[in-house]
Amino acid sequence: MSAIGSLPGLDPVIHAQARLRVMVALAALATGDQITFPRLQQLLDMTAGNLSTHLRKLEDASYVQITKAYQRRTPVTYVALTEPGRRAFADYTAALRALLTAPTDQPVG
Amino acid sequence: MAGDDTNARLDEDSPLSAGESLALIERQQRETQRRLRVNPAVFYGPWGAAYLLGFGAVFLTYPTAVPLRLPGAVAAVIIGVLFAVATVVSIVTGVRAGRGLRGPSRAAGAMYGWSWTLGFCTLAAVNNGVTRLGLPHDAVTLLWSGSSLLLIGVLYLAAGALFQDRFQYGLGLWMLISAATSVFAGVPGNFAVVSLAGGGGLLLAAGYFTLRPPCPRR
Repeated sequence: MSAIGSLPGLDPVIHAQARLRVMVALAALATGDQITFPRLQQLLDMTAGNLSTHLRKLEDASYVQITKAYQRRTPVTYVALTEPGRRAFADYTAALRALLTAPTDQPVG
Repeated sequence: MAGDDTNARLDEDSPLSAGESLALIERQQRETQRRLRVNPAVFYGPWGAAYLLGFGAVFLTYPTAVPLRLPGAVAAVIIGVLFAVATVVSIVTGVRAGRGLRGPSRAAGAMYGWSWTLGFCTLAAVNNGVTRLGLPHDAVTLLWSGSSLLLIGVLYLAAGALFQDRFQYGLGLWMLISAATSVFAGVPGNFAVVSLAGGGGLLLAAGYFTLRPPCPRR
């Protein structure tokens, strides 16, 4: 196992379980695509409160863009990764791989 | 975190090791792909069965080497029911896949879905228009089997290009070959071609995608 704790060089905004899962799900969308809050919630099996808390943190870091739209007078919230968010996620996974290949660790999973 | 038992061991603020983190990414990627992308097998299966059994039944309404004759009405009912089921499954699957999404991929998927409806409506108009001029019965039959397989083939070529999927493109080529073969096979051989090559080909494709789901787009 590699060292537990604050791993050096890993983005603390992404390096937390729930937010990481949000990032993975959003990164699976093609660039320019957006997903509604309920579908994302269903995709991640998260409670609405939990998901909005983490989305707010990701939005504060400018990794996620939240758009409010109206469909037949009903407000719909769309979520998408921003360009910096997509880059940050790619950097994060690259950093993980580097951490795992550099020392003697065998990869997990 | 309700419903999240796979990750229940780690509470969300507990630090992840690099290995745990990478495993979590892979697990979530698989799960997201599974829920977000439609396996083409869901379309191919019902249509393959409809073509295989439906046109197989039509083939059996003619005197053939097969010692079984079906009344025309029976074949018509089989075709009608199987086509209705396949149409409903395709529409429901397509609509559900796009639920809660918007953007370029959603638009491309919707336009592709409508290509089938628009293509087949136009095909029906063209074929009926030509038939009104007074074609022999066999010519009408060959016109329908050849043009339908041609349109199906072209739409799979388009799907291959759109979704960057060489297998679907190959399936399109197979349908084009079947289209030409069906016309030269004559009546009722054309129905055997539509049934076995068309329907059978779709069922094989469905089997392929069931065993080997499409890879995530990269």
